[in-house]
Amino acid sequence: MTIEKSDIEHLCGLSKLNLDEEEQSLFLNQMQSILKMIKELEEVDTEDIIPMAHPLQMSQRLREDEVTEFNERNKYQKNTNSSEDGFYKVPKVID
Amino acid sequence: MKRHTVKELQNMIAEQSISSEEIYQLYLNRIKAMNDSINAFISIESDEISPSSEQESSEIKGIPYALKDIFCSEGDKTTCGSKMLANFVSPYDATVVKNLREKGTVILGKTNMDEFAMGSSNETSFYGNVHNPWDKERTPGGSSGGSAAAVAAGMAPIALGTDTGGSIRQPAALTGITGLKPTYGRCSRFGMIAFASSLDQAGILSISAEDAAIFLEHMAGYDQKDSTSSTEEVPKYTDFLNNDLTGKVVGLPMEFFDGSLDSKYQGLVSESIHAYEKMGVQFKDISLPNIKYSVPTYYVVAPAECSSNLARYDGVRFGHRSTENTDLDSFYKQTRKEGFGPEVKRRIITGTYVLSAGYYDAYYLKAQKVRQLINQDFLNAFEEVDVIMGPTTQQSAFKLGDKMDDPVSMYMNDIYTISSNLSGVPAISHPIGFVDNLPFGMQVIAPHFMEHDLLNIVHQYQMATDWHLQTPALCREFD
Amino acid sequence: MSWETVIGLEIHVQLDTNSKIFSGASTSYGSEQNTNTSLIDLGYPGVLPVLNKDAVMMAIKFGLAIDAEISRRSIFARKNYFYPDLPKGYQISQYELPIVQGGSLEIKLNDGTRKVIGITRAHLEEDAGKSIHDKFNNETAIDLNRAGTPLLEIVSEPDIRSAEEASSYMQKIHQLVRYLKISDGNMQEGSFRCDANVSVRPSGQAEFGTRAEVKNINSFRFVENAINYEVERQIDRLENGNDIIQETRLYDPDKDETRPMRSKEEANDYRYFPDPDLLPLEIDQKTIDKIQKSLPELFEKKVIRYTDDLKIKQNDAEEIAKNMQIAEYFEATLNHFNNNPQLVTNWILSEVIGVLNRENMEINAFQIEPMQLASLLSRIEDNTISSKIAKNLFNQMLTSNETVDQMIKQQGLEQITDEGSINEYVAEVLNEFSDQKDQYLAGKEQVLGFLVGQVMKRSQGKANPKLVNELIINQIKK
Repeated sequence: MTIEKSDIEHLCGLSKLNLDEEEQSLFLNQMQSILKMIKELEEVDTEDIIPMAHPLQMSQRLREDEVTEFNERNKYQKNTNSSEDGFYKVPKVID
Repeated sequence: MKRHTVKELQNMIAEQSISSEEIYQLYLNRIKAMNDSINAFISIESDEISPSSEQESSEIKGIPYALKDIFCSEGDKTTCGSKMLANFVSPYDATVVKNLREKGTVILGKTNMDEFAMGSSNETSFYGNVHNPWDKERTPGGSSGGSAAAVAAGMAPIALGTDTGGSIRQPAALTGITGLKPTYGRCSRFGMIAFASSLDQAGILSISAEDAAIFLEHMAGYDQKDSTSSTEEVPKYTDFLNNDLTGKVVGLPMEFFDGSLDSKYQGLVSESIHAYEKMGVQFKDISLPNIKYSVPTYYVVAPAECSSNLARYDGVRFGHRSTENTDLDSFYKQTRKEGFGPEVKRRIITGTYVLSAGYYDAYYLKAQKVRQLINQDFLNAFEEVDVIMGPTTQQSAFKLGDKMDDPVSMYMNDIYTISSNLSGVPAISHPIGFVDNLPFGMQVIAPHFMEHDLLNIVHQYQMATDWHLQTPALCREFD
Repeated sequence: MSWETVIGLEIHVQLDTNSKIFSGASTSYGSEQNTNTSLIDLGYPGVLPVLNKDAVMMAIKFGLAIDAEISRRSIFARKNYFYPDLPKGYQISQYELPIVQGGSLEIKLNDGTRKVIGITRAHLEEDAGKSIHDKFNNETAIDLNRAGTPLLEIVSEPDIRSAEEASSYMQKIHQLVRYLKISDGNMQEGSFRCDANVSVRPSGQAEFGTRAEVKNINSFRFVENAINYEVERQIDRLENGNDIIQETRLYDPDKDETRPMRSKEEANDYRYFPDPDLLPLEIDQKTIDKIQKSLPELFEKKVIRYTDDLKIKQNDAEEIAKNMQIAEYFEATLNHFNNNPQLVTNWILSEVIGVLNRENMEINAFQIEPMQLASLLSRIEDNTISSKIAKNLFNQMLTSNETVDQMIKQQGLEQITDEGSINEYVAEVLNEFSDQKDQYLAGKEQVLGFLVGQVMKRSQGKANPKLVNELIINQIKK
């Protein structure tokens, strides 16, 4: 359960974050202490305990299959400067 | 300068001694005068008071409120305290905002908060620190620091906040006001920018429990747009405020009273207990044996959920966008590097770690099992007692900058509040006195959907005491 | 060294709902870019998913049709990764507890043998948007219309052992989803997509070899080609002492080859966890029973009914039944005319399908209603008109609104069945073609056809050919 610099780099890759050297070192230290704190959970006997994913004892509601949302492209695309012809744009992806 | 309660404003409007427009202007003026030194608001509205016949019979028509900038409000900048959303104008209203709008309330402004609700001191906001009205060198707590400071300073009669690990209750305690976190699922989360989906809940920061009761009635309720919202009926909370407390049994968890609380705070708690006893309340020692694991449990579950919830902030469709254009990967990384602050990044990394291959069972799954145990502790306790009480925080407001270097020490601020989020039970913090001129608060926790009990209990306390009516010295400067 | 091929197919079927799986935006195909996107599909801050009832019902329908177990409680999970066509940065899918578990399908191979292919699971998930790389110069264009469309991902067991089996299985699933009306199965539009997991192992080895995933297979023919190429490639590598890299490869139909996909090269840790915005999906027995009762008669049973009850030839029955809509058309025709199902069959298989192929249309667009076809065929059956005349009328019916009887009357097309009139024609013909008459008498029987033809010509095709035949023979023999 110790975390290394390469772990931080890997996690940055998965979560698309860029940390510079200084931040990486700082995070590494901070993560060490966070993980140490989390480690306490190992003490707890959780055999046969069902994980609690939700505070509510409800089941998923089903929605009628109706079209209730209509074209608001112009309104929504006001939130970006990078749209053209109604498309969103990103740097070219090579598949 | 007087801090009016919502109840007082209702009376004034009914008596026609002041109009809603005048009330709105009054608060706007206060905000303009005070915000520079408190920094409670990120943006200040000039909302239209638009009368409509639907609102005619509304009890809260014309009541202005402050809205934590985590709630989407249509046509308004909604920043979540982050550079990532600094330019984001929401095209829709959160359901709770829509509910209140339909009842004729008006938004005074969007309040400052810890970035993406991650923090306990309102020091992680892109928009700068919020200052505690009781002592500007101290934090008001967080993440709903702006909302708490606004109400404490009289800039707003009431405010909305969110509570994921204590983010309403802790700032309420540190600013001497009342803060309510309803049961998970009581209020809709639609339009409330997600941090940790299974823990987040919209709530109220107010001067009194009575005010919270008034607003909660209109905010709460089932929302078909939120699959996790409850169909439980919403009672008229104000109907319960004046119930007699005789015979109420209150549990005091030994884990909350293990001697780690400094004696000066313990003294205030003891005095409150006496005040309650005088009202006929009986106290009983109980145990919540797994409660000490709430902080580590929370710091697995919350970061895990947030690491996933924050993946949508990628610069493509809205929000901050880097000018880095070489390739997609760099574009994403640069956008998110520029847009997020260090605490957010830290939690995303932690969350990504605990969910990653090989660690899921040891961390996330384990934490959800411990969560079940914590919930079970509450359910067991509530077989013996009606509600549980304890301190809201371990200390009063700390100085700005004190805890920024040590995240774990910051996380420990939430030690009393986090367990209610894990279990989903409702909880309320109310002021119980001062230590060194700084307010301190106590918490009451009830079983699921028993908000009416909480509000009743605290209202009775607030009828018998006046801690909640104390105003910071700063208010007197603005007359 | 002899090798065995091991294949598992993952088929993504777009479910034919009106709205998306988690939002109320439309799923209609071909809309202008980003006009079918709600805030939920765009992954805006604060939005939440709510599950589409019909998507669930369709998944259950499929599960029941393949004799699978319907999970009474299933969970939605987040599959986390970054890609511009995935707005939330995660796809809502199902991981540990999918809605459908187990099940199987029987396929029929070209040589007539049958084989059962196991199905591991089928689960619900949301589709991603589309990335278009050639629209802008240095940028990729993103259209999120498709984001949020409901998908049913069907995962087969690695029971498939050849490209032919794969194609057969793929076709069977395709037929089934169309039969159940849960998908239009349109591969051109992306409603039906297939990925193949292909590996090889030395014959007799129990352990599976390393597999490669092949994507971008959108026809039955391509699945065979892609698999054949991939198997050859793998065997080639192994025989040369190289390893098979576990990777994702793209099938290129133009070059008929597979090659590694660049963007998926990095092994992705999807960090699946139950989606906290959705509650467990609970399905009660009542719902399952109701859907079970509503299942349409499936292919196998239909063929048996056609052959046993309607006495249609086996091959014809399969031809009709293999396309649900054609089967429906057939059955609708029988509702109005059921004296001669084989006649109806013949006409559909030759004339009707002939038109459909020629005009490249589906039966839903076919101009002749089942009732009209039925009345045409019943007039053949009752000898009012001959087959040949009927074909003429059939062509007219493609554009005319008149009833069959109206056209017969107006054009005077009734068959001539009175012997007197026919005998007159016969006499004329035998007179004119006395040579042929002699030839017939001499034993050259095939000349009869010519004589019949001549009588038909004289009667403008209206004489009943069978009668003509009889009467010619009578007259000659006199």
